[in-house]
Amino acid sequence: MNDKLRIKKLYALSSENRKFSFSLPLKNKIRIGKRDYVVQLRADEKFGAYILWKNRKYPIEIVRSRQNKYEILFNDISYTFTVETPFSLQRMKVLNSKRGKAEQEYIRAPMPGKIIDVLVREGSPVLKGEPVLILEAMKMQNEILSPANGIVKSVTARPNANVMKDDLLVEIKVE
Amino acid sequence: MKLGMNISGKSYKAFLERQEALKKQYSRKQAEKQHSKGKLTAIERISLLFDAGSFEEIDTFVTPANQPVEFGKVERTYGDGVVVGHGKINGRLVFAYAQDFTIMGGSLGFIHARKIAKIQEMALKMGSPVIGMMDSGGARIQEGVASLAGYASIFHNCISSSGIIPQIAVIMGPCAGGAVYSPALMDFTFMVNHTSYMFVTGPSVVKEVLNEDVSFDQLGGAEVHAQKSGVAQMIYDDEENTILALKKFLSYLPSNNVENPPVVADDGSTPDVNEKLRDIVPDDPNKPYDVKDVIHLVVDRNSFFETAELFAPSLVTGFARLKGKTIGIVANQPKVLAGVLDIDSSTKGARFIRFCDAFNIPILTFEDVPGFLPGVDQEHRGIIRHGAKLLFAYSEATVPRITVILRKAYGGAFIVMNSKSLGGDFSFAWPTAEIAVMGPDGAVAILYRKELAESKNPAEMKKELVKKYRDKIANPFIADELGYIDEVIDPAVTRKKILSAFAALSNKWVKVPARKHGNMPL
Amino acid sequence: MKIKKILIANRGEIAIRIMKTARLMKIRSVAIRTAVEPGAMYLSYADEIYDDSENVSEIPVFLNIEKLISITLEIKANAVHPGYGFLSENAYFAQKCLDNRIIFIGPSPDALYKMGNKTIARELALKNGIPMATGSQGNISNEEEAIATAEKIGYPVIIKAASGGGGRGMRIVRKSEEIERNFITASKEAEKAFNDPSVFIEKYIENPKHIEFQILGDTKGNIIHLGERECSIQRKHQKLLEEAPSCALDNSLRKKMGAIAVRIAKTVDYFSAGTVEFLLDSDRNFYFMEMNTRIQVEHPVTEVITGIDLIEQQIRIANGEELTIKQEDVKLKGWAIECRINAENVQAGFAPDPGKIENLSMPSGPEIRIDTGIQAGSSIVSAYDSMIAKIIVSGKDRKEAIKNCKLALDKVWIKGTKTTLPFFRMLVRNQKFHDGTFTTSFIEKDLEKFYYNSEYEEMLAAWLATKLFVEENLEENSIQIDFEDGKVMSPWLLNKRVNQF
Repeated sequence: MNDKLRIKKLYALSSENRKFSFSLPLKNKIRIGKRDYVVQLRADEKFGAYILWKNRKYPIEIVRSRQNKYEILFNDISYTFTVETPFSLQRMKVLNSKRGKAEQEYIRAPMPGKIIDVLVREGSPVLKGEPVLILEAMKMQNEILSPANGIVKSVTARPNANVMKDDLLVEIKVE
Repeated sequence: MKLGMNISGKSYKAFLERQEALKKQYSRKQAEKQHSKGKLTAIERISLLFDAGSFEEIDTFVTPANQPVEFGKVERTYGDGVVVGHGKINGRLVFAYAQDFTIMGGSLGFIHARKIAKIQEMALKMGSPVIGMMDSGGARIQEGVASLAGYASIFHNCISSSGIIPQIAVIMGPCAGGAVYSPALMDFTFMVNHTSYMFVTGPSVVKEVLNEDVSFDQLGGAEVHAQKSGVAQMIYDDEENTILALKKFLSYLPSNNVENPPVVADDGSTPDVNEKLRDIVPDDPNKPYDVKDVIHLVVDRNSFFETAELFAPSLVTGFARLKGKTIGIVANQPKVLAGVLDIDSSTKGARFIRFCDAFNIPILTFEDVPGFLPGVDQEHRGIIRHGAKLLFAYSEATVPRITVILRKAYGGAFIVMNSKSLGGDFSFAWPTAEIAVMGPDGAVAILYRKELAESKNPAEMKKELVKKYRDKIANPFIADELGYIDEVIDPAVTRKKILSAFAALSNKWVKVPARKHGNMPL
Repeated sequence: MKIKKILIANRGEIAIRIMKTARLMKIRSVAIRTAVEPGAMYLSYADEIYDDSENVSEIPVFLNIEKLISITLEIKANAVHPGYGFLSENAYFAQKCLDNRIIFIGPSPDALYKMGNKTIARELALKNGIPMATGSQGNISNEEEAIATAEKIGYPVIIKAASGGGGRGMRIVRKSEEIERNFITASKEAEKAFNDPSVFIEKYIENPKHIEFQILGDTKGNIIHLGERECSIQRKHQKLLEEAPSCALDNSLRKKMGAIAVRIAKTVDYFSAGTVEFLLDSDRNFYFMEMNTRIQVEHPVTEVITGIDLIEQQIRIANGEELTIKQEDVKLKGWAIECRINAENVQAGFAPDPGKIENLSMPSGPEIRIDTGIQAGSSIVSAYDSMIAKIIVSGKDRKEAIKNCKLALDKVWIKGTKTTLPFFRMLVRNQKFHDGTFTTSFIEKDLEKFYYNSEYEEMLAAWLATKLFVEENLEENSIQIDFEDGKVMSPWLLNKRVNQF
């Protein structure tokens, strides 16, 4: 029987498609230019978990993780990465070349709040940047804008409804 | 094993020649056919799943059955398009089969089916789990009815083993027509997004018969089955992560229905008392929260493995660990549809509970349910029947069952969610719990209908009555005093209470009535 | 001192601020405990606490005029300090205090009324030759009038609420197609926020700087200004960072604008602390916008460079004392910058991120002043605002102040909610901010990224994600599973299980 599929390198892919590669076994050192700098994951009573790098402490928190997808709060900024193997990266390329651009856009609540006004209906045409509904949160009214040109496929949001973050509000068929 | 050239003699020569032929069959060019689609080969999947060097293949060199009637070509290849065998996954014996799409499209012929059946029978004899990795174009048309009979024997074995050994299907390519019943009969189904699909009738026939245009992905892709049909419980974006997740999943399950689930070393990093639990349920009973926040603080750190995450999200199911021991979790999710029970969530919960019951996995229920989803759609599609499934599953389960009522517990839904009267072992409630026949608004509207109609300021009166109802009736202390729950607890000590409750239940045994099987509503 | 005991009709950092000065002046202060935050930090600064935590009414006690008056009388306080927000600019409340012989630490009800209504304020300014942006003569009553007025003024125009500010009921309209819709939305928002749907329309001045002057006046008619504050760093009309002084003003412009600010205050015989807001365009023309008749959130930067305690001055003025500071005594020394750290998610468009602050650590030093109402364990509640702390940093000049600010921000650590810290860390490193050439459109137009992360931070986060993946999936003994344990069970159980089938 063939040997286990040995993975020699891993890639962390950010939500903006930036790729960071690390060879395995994973070392506690990162190479910048010609020098190797030590990076350590530590925990401290008051700070909680932090990364020690070039003599500075960066507080970290693992917000969410699912299999190979990680949402990390690093020094007060949140990043989402998926960790890919060379094969899964290649697979992504193969699938993306076949698929083309998104057919649907889903508008989700960016924060918890109350729907004040729904400005579109099923079948309404929308332009990118056009407001589709008004969401009230923390006493401020926020316009939620359409991310693309298209036609409204379905409207889940109802006026006066309370929504939570990421709740699906409107589905748009992209044109 | 390489035997040197010193050894002469025909027997070894033939042996070595066959090895060479096999190597040629599984050449890199062959693998490219899968890789170019972003898929792994059957052998690669097996080696990713099993511990290094532990897999022993069986029936490697079988060849396809002779065709009764000459129609279409059949390649003379080894293995007949499926790799079967046994090995160790994280040190435990597991049997598996992986269909090979590169050989005759992974189509199921008589010998192919017999290999799979062999593995299933062996697994049943040894009391070990079975994993099926599907990647097949379907029945081998050239072999006619023999391949259909092949499917039938596989299904029959699935059923014979059901509830005795865990069976998990991993759909890694096409799985269509009759073939879909195999995963449907197994306990859990994993699917790989975008490169796998399942349907009974394919798009081309749908187009022919109904003139409906639909793609493979739209008809039966992973997302469809994870979100809409509930056929797949776990989906991942690539094959490697699907298999890695499967390995993690297996670590929660026992090998058979007589053993207890395996225990994992607990690093002790989860505190038994955690004040953050007090802050999760909002003061306003109409404000939602995420019940997974509660789950994560109560179970061992990072141990919650959610199943069917995208299907019926108003009910959360999954496995977790308490001090290293596996438990099953069923929880209403207030942030989706206010946590109501409907047809899909009842079915999802019922299946999960029955699996836990079959395999000695204790069940922990977190309750915050305002009732069943009202509406003509639900009623006409049989919420009565489907809701009854959840009731039946809970009541029938003889594994230790504990409930923690977090907030709402009204009416029929309160009874259904593992109440003590259904045989629940321990019921705890948080001080924020509201246990009553119905919610305050409904109760007040009915009991004080006359007074409200005659009142000068009905809105004010209603507000006062609702407050009174909450204070006097819909609070957990009454249920506590009457013995319908065991204790109202400080949310901060939930984990501690659950741990000692499960410890007390570790030897629980209930005699089941002597019958062939009940008649559960379906 | 007539004022013996003050009821603090507010909460959070400003309540603490007032109580600190009151203590120095040996005046007793009373704070109110509410059901929403019964363990709040401001309560520990009070000499007495009035417990209102039984009250579960929708209206916060700080907006309940009758209740506040009755509490003041009950606790036998003879003065009320309203802080900022809530009832601080409510003429009716001020009048009620006077009617009940309670000293209202703020301006007169008349000044509050006149300056509180933007339309009246504009009329007064017009009558007194104060430079202003052209606008509608009164409130706009309907869509037709809105369209006509806007046409007359000429686009772009801005619709503003007559009874309030803070960005609510405010809409910029650039095209005639949009005036109707925006008029309706602005009115609705104004009604919701200030109970008054009245709006007026003004010419919108593109890319101005927002410069405001701190005013102090006494009941004897003396009014002085304490220099300006630069408040152009705003997002949706909410100030984020303020400085004193402004690098856009030289001494002569300061003198000119200061004199106009004083003149505006004089039109209503203003006393107590107040702020006159101007828009300054790129040609050094300035236009009166409005007057805020209260102590403002950003008052610390003025205090730092003038050395004057504004709260103390407010109390003295309310006490009837004459101002001891003359205009020529006011010297601006050094530079101060204030960063408002809020519980908001910068990466999600500054969306509020309420929650519990588990722990926080603030820098300290002679150049650092922290005004906060939050301590470890405090909750950011959606009923109130999302402010965590104000970080005020000074230096001998602007360059040093920015440098000190950068160092201070890097030392701040807050755990529990997302905060606007990454935004300020970016701002202090931004070239345009350093140049001082930014205007009120800075955030909308001149910023590509709203937060700062050094070039290695993303890479380190990526390394962390990879490390977690390796630990959970690839390491040989990632899970120590004991399969044997499951096979061992008590004879009681094993016997039953095996015999059941």
